[in-house]
Order: sequence, then C-alpha cells, then structure tokens
Amino acid sequence: MKKTTEEKMKTLLAKYTYPPVEVTIPILEKAGRGEEELASQIHEIDVSILSGLMKIFDLKEKNMRTVAKIFGVLLSYYGQKYEPLVLSENRFSLSVSDCPMLHVGKNVNVATRSKYCDVLCSSTAKALAKLVLGDSSRCSWDKALIRDGRKCTVAFELVKSK
Amino acid sequence: MNRSTRFLSALLLGASFFAIFLAWRTATAPMDFADLKTVLTTTTATFGSLLGIITAGLMFTHGKFSELASELGEKTPHYISDTLPLEKIQTIGNNLLALRKSFSILITQSTVEEEKELYRRVIGKSSSIYIDFAILSDLKLKQQGLAETDLMISGMDPQLYPAYKKERHRVKKEWQILATIKQVVDTWEGSTTLVMEKNEKRTSLQQDLRSSISLLGLKEKLDKNSKQVCAEAEEILNELAEDLTKIGGQLRQERIPQLLSQMEQANTIRGNYFYFALAFIATPLFINLLVLPQLSIGTASFFQPVISITSSLSVMGIAFLLLYISKILNV
Repeated sequence: MKKTTEEKMKTLLAKYTYPPVEVTIPILEKAGRGEEELASQIHEIDVSILSGLMKIFDLKEKNMRTVAKIFGVLLSYYGQKYEPLVLSENRFSLSVSDCPMLHVGKNVNVATRSKYCDVLCSSTAKALAKLVLGDSSRCSWDKALIRDGRKCTVAFELVKSK
Repeated sequence: MNRSTRFLSALLLGASFFAIFLAWRTATAPMDFADLKTVLTTTTATFGSLLGIITAGLMFTHGKFSELASELGEKTPHYISDTLPLEKIQTIGNNLLALRKSFSILITQSTVEEEKELYRRVIGKSSSIYIDFAILSDLKLKQQGLAETDLMISGMDPQLYPAYKKERHRVKKEWQILATIKQVVDTWEGSTTLVMEKNEKRTSLQQDLRSSISLLGLKEKLDKNSKQVCAEAEEILNELAEDLTKIGGQLRQERIPQLLSQMEQANTIRGNYFYFALAFIATPLFINLLVLPQLSIGTASFFQPVISITSSLSVMGIAFLLLYISKILNV
C-alpha cells in the first residue's frame, strides 16, 4: 500500500532523531569535549531530514521559498511557534518564540547556551546551504531568547559575489 | 477538580449565600400557617417533578453507557484473539524486559543526572507497557480457558508485581480491555488525541528511546563502550515499533480512541454533575418533607428562612440536572 505524505513525514522524522540537548549539554560539559562530534551528528541528521522533506514534498526549486517551506514544516512538527517576517528572492527571515536552549537545565549558564546555540544553528544553516541555497548564502540568528528576549530572529540571505 | 467543576462549585456556593441572605432579610416578616402549608405543598410537588427528571436522567445515562459499552464490547474479542496473539505478547514482553535491564545498567554507568532521568523514563514506560501486556495476557488466557497461568508474572521484579496487581484489579469490564490496549499505544507513541492545550508535554517511550539511541550514538563517538547497548536498543526499538504501531493503527481505524474518550467523558459528567445535583435535591427533600412537617406552627415560622434556602437549592438542582442532560447529549 502506498504511504501518504503524512506517513512518509512521520517515518522520516521518527527515523532521524536529534540527541536531546538538555541531556547532551551536561554530558559534553562534564566530559569537556565532544562539540565537534555533536555538530557533525546534527549536521548528518539535518541533511537526512531536509533532503527527505524535499523529496516528500517534491521541492525541486533551490530558492528561499523552498527554505521557507522546509522551515515551516519542521518547526510545526517540533511544536515551535514561529512567525514569518520577510520572504523575498534574496532574503527569508522568521521569528521563533521557542528554542531548545530554553529547555536545558537552569544550571547551564548563558555562555554555554550561546555556544551550543551556535553549534545547532550553524549545523542547520550548513545543511540548508548544501542542499538548497548554495555557498553564497548566509544565515544569522540573534540569540534573543537566550538573553531573555521574547522572540529570536533567524535570517537567511543570499550574498551576491563581487 | 477541573476548571468547570470549580466554577460551578463557586457559583453554587455564591447562590447558597445569596439565598441565605435573602432568607435572613425576610425572616423578620410574619408568616401565616396556611401560607407555610402552601409553601410545603408546592415544595413537595417540585420534588415530585425533580424525582421524575432524575429518573429520566438515569435512564438516559444508562442508555448512553450501554450503547458505547456494547459497541466496544463487540470489538474486544477480536482484539484479544486476532490482534494480540500470545506469541506477539511474549515477544513484546521479552523486548520490554530487555530494555529495562539494559537501561538499568546505563543508569548505574551514568554520572549525569539529566541522562539518568532520560533512562529512568525509558524504564518507567517500559514497565508500564509490560504491566498492561501482563493484564492482557491474563485476560486472554482466561478467555481461552487457561486461567491462573500467569505467563508474564514470572518476569516481574518485586517493584513491578505490586503495580501489576493494582492495575489488574482495576480492569473489571470488557471494554476496559480496549482501554488498556489504548494505554499501551499512548505510552508508546504519545497520545494522538487532538489536544488544543499543550500545557503539559509528556514524551512517549518511542521518543525517549530514540533520544537515548541518538545520545548513545554521540557517546559512541566519544568512547566506544556504549556501542553494544546502542545496537541492542535500536533492534528492540524497531521490533516494538513494528508491533505497536500496527496495533495503534488498527485502534484508530476502528475509532476506538474516540469511543473510549466518549465513555470517559460520560463517566466524568456522571461523577461531576449527577451526584452533585442529586445531593442538592436530596437535602431539601429531607428537610422539607421529613423535618418541617414535624414542627409546631411557631417553630415552623421560625424556620421560614430554611424553607427559602431549601427551595432555592431545589431550583439549583433542576438547573444542574438540565446542565447534566445537555452535557450527556453532547458526549
């Protein structure tokens, strides 16, 4: 029997699970190493999930619209509230009101949260650059949620080469 | 006590105080014995009508319950005999015990509290599903004339057995077998009921297991010790996913979660509203019909406020019954 899109998505997202940051961070902090390993594992998972989603939703165009769609699907699946801000040919930005770093233990300080926020976000940005936007893309995140802000803004940009 | 019950209780309390206040305000006014008799006769007639409504409510609830119970009862034997063959129950049981064992070892090896907590969750949920399958196995064997075989009890440890006894004692009706199966599926894949309020995020066993495997995969890169456990857990996860997801899919296809949710709702309504309404009717009935007629004219006049209060209470009783019936109709 042919699987529906929902079933395919469920199977894909169940197959590739991110290590829980609220557990991973204390372990790596205690070991004093392992960030590179975490980054490479997250990157592998991101690439598998993103390419899987592109296949399921038949997203062949390599542009900001595809990035927006993928982000929408992923954030909704993980129950995160988000608000699209800008969607143009060269730019896509959105604000999120939840972040995995908010769910780590209170004993984890802001500097550590910030460090792992970079690990997570840069892995996803790399995966999106690899699969959709190419090397001319840049991704930025303002870490506002970690600093007690209400929303964090994530932006993707296409930088024109000189 | 949920929010609506709290609101209704507060409303009733407020209404009672208002009735007392009104009664106190009119208590000083003189009252004729004939008027008092009229009040008593009217109250008696009101109570007669109320009893009629109660009977109708009871019959209606009974009908609704029978309808749902028979619909679920018809489906139960098929689940017991076809969907859950004994070999499958045993395989699932063995996998759950293996999980418990592996993750207990992982807890002793870990020094990080958050990691221990994740493994504890896996053990807790595996135990819960094991208990549910032990109940199902017991009922299945009984149904097939093999009573007191206790196939899965031998695999239980001293902590698991009391929990099993308690849960087993709870399952008395045929439809509760399906509720037990649903509980298994919910523990495994998380409740799929549409929940609008996401206040409490409870993870499923499947989710915890996948997170643990992912974590062990990362630890594997740091040290090689967790390799074997990770592979074992992954194999068990795949086997459990195949068996339990199939059961869950069948439950949803036959609308069992919806039917069980209706039963649960009906049960809550009966508990929250019906007995509450009954108490509000029984109390004034007792006072107005048994206590007040025994009193002399003077004492009855003195108790005039009581009549006002009990009459108010009986009006509230009617309101409750109507609310109750409307809730039942919406189940």
